[in-house]
Amino acid sequence: MPTPASGATPLRRGLPRVPGGEPWPPAGFAPAPVAAAPPAAPKLVSRSEAPAAPVVPTPAAADEAVAPAPASPAPAPAVAPTPAVKPPPAVAPAAVEKPGKPAAEPRLYGARTLGQWTKRMILLAVAAVAAAGILVLAARGVTTLPGVPEFLKKYPGAYSLPATAEPGFPWWTQWAHFLNVFLMALIIRSGYHVRTQQKPPAYWTPKRGGKKISINLWLHQALDIVWLANGLVFVVLLFASGRWVRIVPTSWEVFPNAASALLQYMTLDWPVETGWVNYNSLQQLMYFIVVFIAAPLAAVTGVRLSEFWPKNAKTLNRLYPIEAARAVHYPTMLFFVVFILIHVFLVFATGALRNLNHMFGGTDAVNWAGFWLFAAAIAVTAAGWYAARPLVLAPLARLFGQVSSR
Amino acid sequence: MKIIVLVKEVPDTYGDRKLNLETGLADREASETVIDEIGERALELALKYADANEGTDVAVLSLAPESATSTIRKALAMGAGSAVHIADEALRGADLGLTAEALAAAIRRVEFDLVVTGNLSTDGSGGMIPAMLAELLNVPLATGLSSVEIGDGAVSGTRIIDSGVQQVSAQLPAVISVTEALPGPRFPNFKGIMAAKKKPVETLTLADLGINAEDPDAARSIMLAVAEKPPRAAGVKITDEGDAGQKLADFLIENRLA
Repeated sequence: MPTPASGATPLRRGLPRVPGGEPWPPAGFAPAPVAAAPPAAPKLVSRSEAPAAPVVPTPAAADEAVAPAPASPAPAPAVAPTPAVKPPPAVAPAAVEKPGKPAAEPRLYGARTLGQWTKRMILLAVAAVAAAGILVLAARGVTTLPGVPEFLKKYPGAYSLPATAEPGFPWWTQWAHFLNVFLMALIIRSGYHVRTQQKPPAYWTPKRGGKKISINLWLHQALDIVWLANGLVFVVLLFASGRWVRIVPTSWEVFPNAASALLQYMTLDWPVETGWVNYNSLQQLMYFIVVFIAAPLAAVTGVRLSEFWPKNAKTLNRLYPIEAARAVHYPTMLFFVVFILIHVFLVFATGALRNLNHMFGGTDAVNWAGFWLFAAAIAVTAAGWYAARPLVLAPLARLFGQVSSR
Repeated sequence: MKIIVLVKEVPDTYGDRKLNLETGLADREASETVIDEIGERALELALKYADANEGTDVAVLSLAPESATSTIRKALAMGAGSAVHIADEALRGADLGLTAEALAAAIRRVEFDLVVTGNLSTDGSGGMIPAMLAELLNVPLATGLSSVEIGDGAVSGTRIIDSGVQQVSAQLPAVISVTEALPGPRFPNFKGIMAAKKKPVETLTLADLGINAEDPDAARSIMLAVAEKPPRAAGVKITDEGDAGQKLADFLIENRLA
């Protein structure tokens, strides 16, 4: 073989191209500068066969110069007692790679494995049932205390409404309630995205220019505006129709009655449902808090966090710091979520068909009409939930500004 | 007019990017991969021209691992008509020279009028590919354009340099590279995403292009060492107690900055 044709200068070798591999390029010699002999193919062959003894130490030295850095698992070729031994190392890394993979670890979901989660969930469920049991027993114990039965008799859980109160739910209440379901679901979801998503899928810039915000924040704020409009219309109609007496307490008796109702709920001996005509006092208080305290609180803190707020109003911003708004906005959402859970649970636990007919069907009858309207409302909400993705949101957001991916 | 836009799949600069400390190559598992933004801007330029001029054919070309197909589809969703994807195991760790050879070979397979590239990738920061391509394709090159006019048979633009602004123009076919001064990319719409699924993506290997990555006659760059960037140390804060000027001067002298 024409060994000398491949030149005498060993190739400089660098880091391997694959983890655990040999330095790249493979050991060899730079082609001879003279075009006397075809250098390419024969050279590679000659390296593995020809006894080019005198030059071998040099590539070995080059190897050592590079080897320490990558901590290559196979520094063996560096020694190279005879060039004929070289081929095996080429196989070695491949063999090393397989055992190198760690044995399959159990998959983590968050900080725990599936088994750990299951155990934890079972523990939590048992604890919850136990706690609920203790609570019920304690409440029943309380009802036997002296004076309590008399209290429950005096305050049955509801007080009578003013004579002007009309029973039932007009169409606009039903619509406002449905819109509220739809909007709240999407508002909570988009708000959660705003809070947790580190890299939004798209951004929106207002048409008139201004700060670029994530498409989630755009959705959150756009829905907020619709939600506020819905709330405003509802409150105006509520007062104009005189139906406000249903959810605004009109007597101090609301408090002892609410306590009574709470105690009755806790004993699992629930107060009689008369939702079509009159809410029990606990209900009335909760609905009042939701409509007239929690919702305005969410709006006021939300505006403070949004781009609508004047950034440069110094006195205003000192009196109402953004940190305060941030500290309240999120717990308000948590309050809404807890309220929704309890509300839905009780609606279903205290005569589902009748209750659904009240708010979705507008009648006091017991049939499936209200349920199907409710199901349709849930379906529409689910569809909105599914559709609230960049692909669908982008064309909508584009109507009001620019959408970009960065 | 046939415009070829070069796009590159890179680790998203939004998060932490990592190099494999053994091979010195980008760790593609460590971060999300995206089309480099400058490539998207280059594509936006071509698409804007195509929107205004009927009969313009915009194709994207990318040299990337096989896994990059979905990233390349995003370029099609933006509006490119077709894509060519050069993927070959032998291109792992390819240096600029080999990369340019492969790209040029792929470009040479079609008649082209204009090749648009970004001026610099966010991962390699080499910025030499446009020049290498122009050399290999034997066409004029205009680099770092901050505005571009594509005309009949010529392309012109402005180039911001240290001493001012250059107005440059070149006959087509040509290679140009653009800077971040160009408008940002459009957001793919539903129609575009659906259409992208049907658009052709041609995958080429080095054998298809007639390139030998192991050619011992060609000089290739190797990487000798790689190390993680040391964490940033806290700076020195100088509070003004009347002598801040003196302290500042001392600091500069002490650190041989003045």
